[in-house]
Amino acid sequence: MKETSNKYLISALLLGLVFHGASMFFTLETTYDALIHLFFADHYANSWFEPWNYKWYTGFTVMSYPPLVHQSIALLSLVGGLKFGMFTVALIGIVLFITGVYRFSLLITSNRTVAGYASVLAVFSSSFVETLHVFGQLPSIIGISVLMHALPEIYLWLKTGKYWYLATSLSLIAVTVTSHHVTPIFGMVFFIFPLIGMVIMDASKDKVGRMKAVTFKVFLATFLTLFKRIIGFGILSLLIIVGCILPYWINSKNNPITQVPIPHGSRDSFLEVTSSGLVFFLIPWGILLILLPYVFYRYYTKRYLFFGLSITILFVLGTGGTTPIPRLLLGETAFNILTLDRFSLWASIMALPLLGEFAYRFVQGDLKTHIQSKFGAVYHRIVGGVLAGLFVFMTVFTMSLGYFRPSQPQKIKMLPIVNFLNQDDHDKWRFLTLGFGDQMAWLSAQTNAMSVDGNYHSARRLPELTTRPIERLENSKFKGVAGIGSLQQFLTTPEKYNLKYIFSNDKFYDPILYFCGWQRLRQLENGIMVWERLNIPPVSSILPKEDVAKWLKILWGVIPILTVIIAFVLNIQMLWVNALKTKAKKCPAFFKYKNDYTHFSSSILKTTHVWSLILASIVIYGIYQFYLKTDTQRSPENAIIAYYDALDFKSFEKAYHLINPKSNLPIAQYMLEISVTDGLLSSYAKLDAIETVFTSKNDSIARAKVITNWITPLEKINKVDYKSLIKHNNKWYLQPDTIDTDLPPDQLYSNSTTTYFNQGRKRVTTEQTHHEDVLKQPALEILSSKLVKYNNHYAIIGEVQNIDNVPADIVLKGTLYNDNNKVLASYNAKYHVKHKLMPKEVSSFKINFEGIAWSKTEDAIPDTFNPDEFTPVEFEEQPTRFNLQVAGNVSGSDLYKNMVLNAIEINDGQIIGSLFNSGVEEITVPQLLVTYYNEHKTMLWVDHLFVKKGVRQQRKQDFEYSIIKNGSVKIITDDMTNVFVNGLPNDAISNKIVPNRIDNHTATELQKINHPDYNYIKIELNTYIGNPN
Amino acid sequence: MQYKLTYIFLLGLILLSSYTVAQNNENTDLKLFTSTTNFEAGKMVVLKFSTSQAIKPLLYCANSYGSTIVSPSLKNNILQYVIPKNMTQKIGVVNWEIIEDTISVTGKFNINPKAEVAVMETYIGPPSIEAGGTDYTMLVVIPTDALDNPIAENTIVNAKHQFLASEKTEAISTKNLIAYKNVYSQKTSGRILMASECLNTNSKEFTVHVTPAVPTDFTITARQSHQYADGNQVTTFITSVLKDKHNNVVSDGTFVTFFITNTNGDILKTSGTTINGVATSKMIHPDHEEQWHIKAYVTGMAESNTIILNYKQVILDFDVVFSKNNRDITIGHLQSFLNQTIPDGLQVKLSIYKNNKRIESYTKTSREGFVHFNLKHHVFKNATYKIIIKTAGLEKIYKSKTLW
Repeated sequence: MKETSNKYLISALLLGLVFHGASMFFTLETTYDALIHLFFADHYANSWFEPWNYKWYTGFTVMSYPPLVHQSIALLSLVGGLKFGMFTVALIGIVLFITGVYRFSLLITSNRTVAGYASVLAVFSSSFVETLHVFGQLPSIIGISVLMHALPEIYLWLKTGKYWYLATSLSLIAVTVTSHHVTPIFGMVFFIFPLIGMVIMDASKDKVGRMKAVTFKVFLATFLTLFKRIIGFGILSLLIIVGCILPYWINSKNNPITQVPIPHGSRDSFLEVTSSGLVFFLIPWGILLILLPYVFYRYYTKRYLFFGLSITILFVLGTGGTTPIPRLLLGETAFNILTLDRFSLWASIMALPLLGEFAYRFVQGDLKTHIQSKFGAVYHRIVGGVLAGLFVFMTVFTMSLGYFRPSQPQKIKMLPIVNFLNQDDHDKWRFLTLGFGDQMAWLSAQTNAMSVDGNYHSARRLPELTTRPIERLENSKFKGVAGIGSLQQFLTTPEKYNLKYIFSNDKFYDPILYFCGWQRLRQLENGIMVWERLNIPPVSSILPKEDVAKWLKILWGVIPILTVIIAFVLNIQMLWVNALKTKAKKCPAFFKYKNDYTHFSSSILKTTHVWSLILASIVIYGIYQFYLKTDTQRSPENAIIAYYDALDFKSFEKAYHLINPKSNLPIAQYMLEISVTDGLLSSYAKLDAIETVFTSKNDSIARAKVITNWITPLEKINKVDYKSLIKHNNKWYLQPDTIDTDLPPDQLYSNSTTTYFNQGRKRVTTEQTHHEDVLKQPALEILSSKLVKYNNHYAIIGEVQNIDNVPADIVLKGTLYNDNNKVLASYNAKYHVKHKLMPKEVSSFKINFEGIAWSKTEDAIPDTFNPDEFTPVEFEEQPTRFNLQVAGNVSGSDLYKNMVLNAIEINDGQIIGSLFNSGVEEITVPQLLVTYYNEHKTMLWVDHLFVKKGVRQQRKQDFEYSIIKNGSVKIITDDMTNVFVNGLPNDAISNKIVPNRIDNHTATELQKINHPDYNYIKIELNTYIGNPN
Repeated sequence: MQYKLTYIFLLGLILLSSYTVAQNNENTDLKLFTSTTNFEAGKMVVLKFSTSQAIKPLLYCANSYGSTIVSPSLKNNILQYVIPKNMTQKIGVVNWEIIEDTISVTGKFNINPKAEVAVMETYIGPPSIEAGGTDYTMLVVIPTDALDNPIAENTIVNAKHQFLASEKTEAISTKNLIAYKNVYSQKTSGRILMASECLNTNSKEFTVHVTPAVPTDFTITARQSHQYADGNQVTTFITSVLKDKHNNVVSDGTFVTFFITNTNGDILKTSGTTINGVATSKMIHPDHEEQWHIKAYVTGMAESNTIILNYKQVILDFDVVFSKNNRDITIGHLQSFLNQTIPDGLQVKLSIYKNNKRIESYTKTSREGFVHFNLKHHVFKNATYKIIIKTAGLEKIYKSKTLW
């Protein structure tokens, strides 16, 4: 019999290449994973045999991920660049997937037409579209595709016992494991075990003649006869799985993943977190949800019984945290490490042959005749139209998911950043990106500079990172307390990591950068703001690495590509014959077990109908609930939530439409009023939680107390607003708030200030900076410093003065010692100091000693977000002395000092005052440093307050500060022998420059307070200017 | 017995061999006849030996940079060793030795710097010092020849510097390869330009800034457009020119803090930075009668006199009108000292008490002289309340107002 080409398969391949090939140029780069694989590929392209990569996480090994896909991209990149490599590998993946589905379907159904249908449907299957175009999981796609190619070979080996098939199947398994390690391991359980079951069933049938006659006894007997082949295959494939990526296993054993699990949407309860339900359940299953009864019915027939069991387990595991079963099945550890979406992916792929089968029977088989005879041709067409429509909708919806809900920030032009890092030896320091999303991997691939961050969290090594459930520092604002907490440790002690440059694509982080002592360098032409920190040493030229044996490196570099070559050689003949039909081929063994497509079961049709009705009603109910929640003016609660939501997302027009239209507030006025408010709350806060309590409510009027929690980079803000609502025409509206009508007396203001410019190296040259171009470090003086203890929490407090004639950026580093001079802790001053001092300016300071927060896993991570919270370091011994190093560097930025304390009133532990901005820049975040003194005017403690609202030019802003209540401060030592300025003893500098210092000069100007523990306070002012003119 | 024989045999062999060595030694005759031991850097150095034998022993030579082996050429019984350039271009002692087992001929020669200067390697630091005569900067000059060798000891280097009207040249001599000089500041601040010269070669220009020392006490004055406490105008505080004890104007940017003690004894604060020695600082007027004591400090170094400012009350009284069931409260017309409408933004605080317990308090700012409050039904039930209105330091209490 001359075999004809399978038209369906050919059209599937063409369609797949055109559809995915054209669209991936718009999607792949914005997926979660694709750029990470690109980064790995860049590593192999530059150092094929050296697994150690210095660019991320202060160094990590790429032996932590199977290399085949990365190495293939790296090889192709030599032809046309990294992105060419990535797209080519993606195209190969598409072809492998479509042909893989075809071969798997052929194996299951033994019918070429059905397999053809399955391959066409596979092209548009929503789970595949999602995996490729939303997640970008290339290794996973290649892994599962090659596994599907392996399945028929495994069947034939088990069935026929020809060694050729053993060789081909093992070669394909080797390719699978070198591209993705999880796929063959779970594939063994979920695909190969059921396949073995099916082979035994088929063999049993051969023995007894009919499927019905296959009893457990017969089954067991057949199993025993095939046992040798099964066990042989099992052992060999296990050897291959271990052997091909042996360095990976050795690495995982040496560096076990001991990190705090990172939350993943696939572990959520899909009913609670509906967005996760959509992405990790609805989309992968797609139209298959309607056909679930058919899929289960078919897979639970005797021949496919084991596939039935397998798909059931996969289905359940894919439901994540919705039911407790996956957690019980996998165990706590595996549940927290694995991303469960892959189970849904595999289940949906396993169901594809049956989807093809259903389509075949529906379009041209027994189901068509059955429906037409029972319900008529029109019904058949309508149902066909609905199913096809739903199928197309799911595909289009999945494809455009990234458009409606972008998972990544806008594409960033990397060239200016790459150029910046290449200039002036900027790549001698580490850098950090903020708000780049997964594009940071693409930046890393293009530059030699190293980052403290990274995008492959399994490889993180710094305890500051592994103890937090955050993927990257980069997007720490989305990770609540743990995120910002981790980030601020890096920002406060950057010299530990040689971190000097930060590229910020997100204004949100600006205040924390400023108050941790960073300064803006300039904005690059792509809009990215570069921040730098002074006084950071460059990365040393020799960096530590964890070396591995040479044979492991060679294995890692050679085997993956070798597996592909071997698999290609072994399977080329089959490919050749299949594709070009050069010779008539014997039908494979599984063709004997054709299905009977003549009698579609009525009961399953009925069940599918009922099931569809149930699904439809669930969907309708869901939409109705959604409508109730989102109809903004249906209830006063909705109106308030919608209003705050609109403010949070800066959709001011939407917010305006919720304002009482009868309040005579034109939209222009409303927008104007909003636009003139600046400050921590209105510019840098993200709404975290909102609670509405109605103090009074009737049919038409309501008054609500709105308690809102805002996350800002600096601290958590709790705000209570009182809102009045009114009902017009069945719609609830908010009454507008009154605004401050304060008017400054003048129109035009002038202000003279001294500005500074340090031109760095004077000659335009790439040489090292000349010694005469290096400015002298400004002389500073520590006026006082002491080690104090307040509520089990040690701190170094004191006062620092810039005694030089140039403005200084200051870095204060404190180290605590015990009596035996053993170092106990070391940290830098964070918020409690003015980091920029004018000549002769004084600032109080406090150095808190922060431990690595929640470093012990048993420390419960608080659920609520509070960036201001910190974990005091736990001291094993009593700190008794300290060393304080202060370093000054000339800095001309952020020297705005025109903030005035213009009124103050102290009542029962509350300081109510007002600040006045006497200059010509708008103060975005005003900060008060409050120093506490005892009755002898001895300094005891330093506290701070960030004022929530900004201060506009020539205007006032009220503030309220609560004096710290209880807890007295114990001074442990005020011995200043180990205080150093720019590496020189403090006393020497002080005696030389200010020999006749008036001690406690401004002690007469301290503010008296009534407090059991403290008698005086001093208020100092510090300002952050968000948008300098 | 056998051992004995072996020992004797071995001993004999050793004796025999030493005899041959000794004989060789007698025959070797190597004699240096290069008499110079001082060479100028960069010149070719050849060590010549006369020899009677046709052997060509190697020459080991070493200086402070390293060591090397030189092989000779033999011509007419004269061994010639050409010392490589990397040895002859660096000044210092070169030790040499002929490597030949039997003979020990050693010696040394000196490479001396050229008597010319190609480069003046100059360092100066710190680049800024304080005026007053105690602080100093150090000029370090290393005149070097074309081969980067520091020139000979005790060569005269002329250190020149210009400060204001004076230009000085001072001769210093090199010692231990360098010449150095401490340059002390004078009482005046300014800029010292420095250069140096050695054997007719001049260095480039170097700058040292002499910055003013710490400021001394100063005086302050206040400038205001009127004396009224209108909560709107701005008073400017100005210091006299801040100078150090040598009468130098302090550096621009010097930070001066102004502390203001008000009638209550509370401390307010403003600050300014100097330009040409004068710091100015601004403060908004209070909105009620006040007496301010103002004193400025450069912390730990200098302070000013105390000045006193009195602010006069502008609003002597205000009207409160209750309307619409006493639920609408209008305060105003608020007028300032010329009976003009007070500039927008005066704060008015309304507090509502029931049974001496505060229920609500609102703060609003005036607009066109009026402030308007509306007490809503759903917040304030029909009842009698105590109402307190505060503005511009004045207070009006309505002990029982009935809302209905």
